Amino acid sequence: MKTTLQALDVDTFYEQLLDSHVGLTHEQSDLLNARLILFLANQIGDGKVLADCVEMARDWPKAS
Amino acid sequence: MMALPIYPETTPTKGYEFTQGTGYTLPEYPFIEPVELKTGEVHRHPIVIVGAGLTGLTFACALARLGVAAVVLEEDNTVGVKGASLCDIGYTQKSLEIFQRLGIYERMAAKGVQWSVGRTFAGAQEVYSFDLRQQNNFGQSIQPPFINLQQFYLEGYLVDRIGELGLTDMRWQSRVVDFAQHEGFATLSVDTPAGRYQIEAEHVIDASGAHSPFHAWCGATLTSHRGDDLWCIADVRFKTPPPAERLTWIEAPFNENRAVWQHLMADDVWRIDYQMAPNADLTHVCSQARVTERLRQQFGPHVEFEVIWVGPYTYRSQCLDRLRIGSVFFMGDTAKVVSPFGARGGNTGVADADNLAWKLAAVLQGRAPPSLLDSYHEERIEAAEQNVRVTNRTTRFLRPADGVERLFRAAAISLAMQHTFARQFINTGRMAIANPYTHSTVCERSGGLSVPNVRLHWADGSPGSVNDLLNWAGGDLLVLVFDDISDATCERLRQLSSHTPVRCVQVVGPHAQHLAREHVRDLHGHLQGACHVFGHAWALIRPDAYLAATGESVDAGLIQAVEHALGIQHETLRDRPERSAALSSTDQKETA
Repeated sequence: MKTTLQALDVDTFYEQLLDSHVGLTHEQSDLLNARLILFLANQIGDGKVLADCVEMARDWPKAS
Repeated sequence: MMALPIYPETTPTKGYEFTQGTGYTLPEYPFIEPVELKTGEVHRHPIVIVGAGLTGLTFACALARLGVAAVVLEEDNTVGVKGASLCDIGYTQKSLEIFQRLGIYERMAAKGVQWSVGRTFAGAQEVYSFDLRQQNNFGQSIQPPFINLQQFYLEGYLVDRIGELGLTDMRWQSRVVDFAQHEGFATLSVDTPAGRYQIEAEHVIDASGAHSPFHAWCGATLTSHRGDDLWCIADVRFKTPPPAERLTWIEAPFNENRAVWQHLMADDVWRIDYQMAPNADLTHVCSQARVTERLRQQFGPHVEFEVIWVGPYTYRSQCLDRLRIGSVFFMGDTAKVVSPFGARGGNTGVADADNLAWKLAAVLQGRAPPSLLDSYHEERIEAAEQNVRVTNRTTRFLRPADGVERLFRAAAISLAMQHTFARQFINTGRMAIANPYTHSTVCERSGGLSVPNVRLHWADGSPGSVNDLLNWAGGDLLVLVFDDISDATCERLRQLSSHTPVRCVQVVGPHAQHLAREHVRDLHGHLQGACHVFGHAWALIRPDAYLAATGESVDAGLIQAVEHALGIQHETLRDRPERSAALSSTDQKETA
């Protein structure tokens, strides 16, 4: 799992993410996020990486 | 044969509490007073099987085919549950291959219904469809991917076959009421219409079902999971039958947006499973009036049908922690119960039976040491746990908790309608497979996989199959050596088969020359593919058509693999501290 910054225009992505939720109800927003996770999971396509991401997101803030 | 009285009502045995409908016609088998009741003597038998359900009968039949006698004790006088066809209706390729070896496959194929197309719907929309025939792993075997057949037919065929083989003492109306375990044997008390008697057994096979009294008698511990998922199951015959496809609704508009299954069985009977609200009153939702109403909502107001059987079903899972305690072996539903998704219930029991039968035969016939029997637990607990895990995941998809579980399901369904990749998320049941053995002390790392029943040609060019080879091996291990072999290899194989319970066969491809006396032809490489090897190689196949090991050169590695496969493996146990610790703690429990 990568925790360093990738070659990604973060500002653009963050804006797209927020814009995609504009005008949606809470329920529609939740569904969008769920669809997005399923799409991204398929893009990543690596069970180990996904498991690490799920664990990292769940176990927050990370005990150090 | 099956032309005896109809049972519109059932006795509440085997966990099914309630039925309605006109019922099925079942065969009845006579009670014959056993010798113990006539003479008052107690006899000790090598094997006593408790329960003449699918698993117990498969086990008795598999033993008889290997020349081993057994006593079967069954509390009922018939097969199936009176009036019902619960629970199993679908037999997978692996089970069909096993039944082919046992000699009842032809009857199953003639009576049962083959299907390969499945369609899945959410609301009125088809989410996706599949054809099992187009999936590569089902293509090689001679047996089809699936046959649907009411369980009692199959059990009836097994009883007939067991009778033909003539080695099994079938004792109907014989209920085990007490049990005691001793050093090396057990004593069972049996109630019959003619009185009670005692019988001793060196090996007890408990195949009496999920509510087995042996659990308590043996102090068995189990892990169970009971959800709140309720189903109403209806067996229906239509005047105008629907197409022979398996239909699944994740959300059926005609069932308050809950799941529905629809599959064809023999005699033009359709099994339709309706998912109910978690808090539903089962007596009400399974009443004939409600079932009729539901059928009209599904098939239209003018559909003509006959309801043959209706029953409720609570899906749950349960798995014993150990499948052997002393002289008792647990198999089938006695060992584990899973939700029926993917046909992982009965098919697993069939594989349990096939796993232990050859091992017990090998031990009783002096081909292997008793330690071979310990591998039954290792291999089948892995299968049981895998099947529990897989079916619990399906249950969670079909009965998601409110909130985020339902949210993700909605997201998955909507994606699946447009994108092929997302269909993988739709979990309406993962079809049972021949479970691989990855933690078995009698399989090498290269083994543990099932060999499909592919075609081959005998030396004279006539057609044959893997099952024919296994039948020819008659309970011995089978070594297949692929491609050209040297004189020295040929001699080594001859030595091996004269000193160990092993039959060696050279497998000749399109170009190789045969040297071994026993050889078969594999012109299209199907046999080699089925054994998961390429080029010069050997494969060690067990009588249950599982690979014990594969390798390249015929050397000490093969000899060692043969020893391991027969349970001769002290060093392996030492290599695995947790496993040997687990075994010794159980041994202490047993002797305590």
